[in-house]
Amino acid sequence: MLKPERMVKVSIVGSRDQLETAAEVLHRLNLLHIEDPVEVERFKIGEPLEKASFVSRALVQLRSYLSYLKIDPTKIIPSRKYKAKEIEEQLSKKLEEYQEMIGKRIEEIRSIDEKIRALDDELRIIEPLKVLGIPPKLLKGYKTIRCFVGFVRDDPTERFREITDEFEIVTKEYQKELIVAVFVKNEYAEEFFRILQEFGYREISVPDIEDYDARIAEIEKEKSELLEKKKTLETEIEEIRVKEAEILLAMEEYLTVELDKSELPLRALVSKYSFVIVGYVPKSDFEKFKTEVENAGLVVEVVESSSNDTPPTKLKNPAVMRDFELLTTTFAIPKYNELDPTWIISIFFPIFFGMMLGDIGYGLLITVIALYLKRVFKTEGWQKLLNIGIYSGIVSIIFGFIYGEFFGPFEVPGIEKYSETHFMGDFLASLYAFHHHEPIFDRVKEFGVKALLFITLAIGMFKMLWGFALGFYNVYVEHGFKEALYEKGCWFLGVLGLVFIILGFCYNLGIFTNNPPEGFGHVLPDNLYVFGHYTVEDAESVPLPIPGLVEGWQKGVNVFYLAALPLIVIWFIIFLLAEIPKMGPFGIIMGVELLTWFGQIISYARLLAIGLSSVYIAFVINYLGLKIGMPPGMAILPLAIIIMLIGHGVNLILGILDPGLQSLRLHYVEFFTKFFEGGGRPYQPFGRVKRFIEE
Amino acid sequence: MAAEALISDTAFIKGCAAIGAGLAVGLAGIGAGAGESGIGAAAVGAIAEDRGFLGLGLLFTVIPETIVIFGLVISFILMFAYG
Repeated sequence: MLKPERMVKVSIVGSRDQLETAAEVLHRLNLLHIEDPVEVERFKIGEPLEKASFVSRALVQLRSYLSYLKIDPTKIIPSRKYKAKEIEEQLSKKLEEYQEMIGKRIEEIRSIDEKIRALDDELRIIEPLKVLGIPPKLLKGYKTIRCFVGFVRDDPTERFREITDEFEIVTKEYQKELIVAVFVKNEYAEEFFRILQEFGYREISVPDIEDYDARIAEIEKEKSELLEKKKTLETEIEEIRVKEAEILLAMEEYLTVELDKSELPLRALVSKYSFVIVGYVPKSDFEKFKTEVENAGLVVEVVESSSNDTPPTKLKNPAVMRDFELLTTTFAIPKYNELDPTWIISIFFPIFFGMMLGDIGYGLLITVIALYLKRVFKTEGWQKLLNIGIYSGIVSIIFGFIYGEFFGPFEVPGIEKYSETHFMGDFLASLYAFHHHEPIFDRVKEFGVKALLFITLAIGMFKMLWGFALGFYNVYVEHGFKEALYEKGCWFLGVLGLVFIILGFCYNLGIFTNNPPEGFGHVLPDNLYVFGHYTVEDAESVPLPIPGLVEGWQKGVNVFYLAALPLIVIWFIIFLLAEIPKMGPFGIIMGVELLTWFGQIISYARLLAIGLSSVYIAFVINYLGLKIGMPPGMAILPLAIIIMLIGHGVNLILGILDPGLQSLRLHYVEFFTKFFEGGGRPYQPFGRVKRFIEE
Repeated sequence: MAAEALISDTAFIKGCAAIGAGLAVGLAGIGAGAGESGIGAAAVGAIAEDRGFLGLGLLFTVIPETIVIFGLVISFILMFAYG
């Protein structure tokens, strides 16, 4: 759970003609992470097996069909698995069949499209000519007269008159442009052409037809025939798609597997008579791997690992936590020897999310939406993300019950009636009858805010220390005790000192000694409630049993401050020992970094802040809705409902994004940086999880 | 003749505390927003180049938000002490 799966480095050796057997066995086992080889004398990188070229050609053909048919493998759940043998036997026959069934039809559809395009082009020429209203045979074929037909921006008649009066022009408007036919004697043709060009002349070549309308009708008829034909072809292809999708995908999978296998030699070193493959196998599967491979007549040898080796990382977590590996690997893949923080994030991510969102209604919606989306998006990444959504939603419901919120709080300071605060206020209040009609922990009240502020800081302090402790362990494993002490241990002590200072401050505020105000919580023991007064004078802190520390300013000194002092001194000494040799005297300045850690502890206050903002947005939406929708304004009840629907919708989106991001950030920035470096290589075994075929 | 005070001292202090609390959150928010704008733009650029950067990009973008939290904590303390 804490560390990635242990690996064994192995080499597999055999004679060269056994490469194909090796490919079969290794691919079936799907266990060996092959290391890319480096060529040495006499051992060169091998060449793909013979079948590779045939397989890849078939694969290209098949995939082009798949992409034309738009078959999405993630959306299809196989009704049965096909035997690899069965596919192998039918392969060439089926491929020919598909060429006949799909390939030909695709070709035909393409040629129909081509024809339709040509007809459309023709139509685009004929239509403006028809608007012009001059029969085609009158537009060409003159000996002494030149005829220009085309589009212009503006009427050029005036300009023509400057040259001669002996011409004829017909203009008509067509789609924001002018279409003109100009008839003029050959001798003026060139000058006229120049003028036309100034008007942006685009010539239309007049087709050899008799009558516009007849031709247009002909074209329309031809087009509809072609479209009809295309439609039939498409329905046929659709039928094929429905019927053959599974076998197509099975064949694609089979060919991909075959291609993988035939390319194994590219990842092996091959000499004249033998080959060797080096890679990693998970320790827990090693025995099985060894027997299976040796049964196939190959030799498996364990290679002594040297310190330069970097085995691949295969995360090992319980099934429930595996979804959260997505969050860990988004940050970085742990190195082989590093601690895997997945289990920590899998516990704290939903808790943080729930603490921030904390609403039964929103939590329920998130859970339901995630459950629904799980049926739509079938890819592995989405499934993991949505599972995380479900866990977070459920924790939000739990916290919502504690905070007493269902699409907003039912009790807000300053408003007397529950029915004015919340659309189901009275009902919710009656639900909490077991707790004096109040939420178990009311984070909207002043005292609730104070208490939650302290609780979030306490979580922050705890996680900071935890992070440095884990960092100490990681460095200790990699570099030894002294390095670990200098790099992480010293900061652990420094932060511990900070923690005591913060606790001392809180003690003076009376946090540990004052009881909560009347009417707050009743379920938890009184002393757990914190934050009484904020000034030292008002605080009823218990004086320390040290003589001379009870008067004046010394009253503020307490056990926590006394504990912090030596810790800070020790931190500073170790810090100097670590930094001065590296940085010189100026290294002292780096001590300011302690303040950064203080800032990061305060940063955990977002657990309170983000939640409060969403609570108040929800409250405002409810309040507005009730004010608008209740008497005397009953008439605009629909408006109230719309406001509430849109408002809660927006707040829900904010409530997913913000708590999610902030919870992630509290892990990435405030926690992971203390101990988690990452930079591991993912474990990618040679093989494939088969969905459509079986051996 | 001394001008008569329009409001009592306590009310004045309360008012100042409320203004201070507002400024603490508001100014911190502006600062964080200014910081995030640059980071956000750069992060989107990087994500356009490489989708794998999405997680890290989001993370970088929310980093300056801590400043607002500081402001908020200060405003809480002000409101609790004088509100």
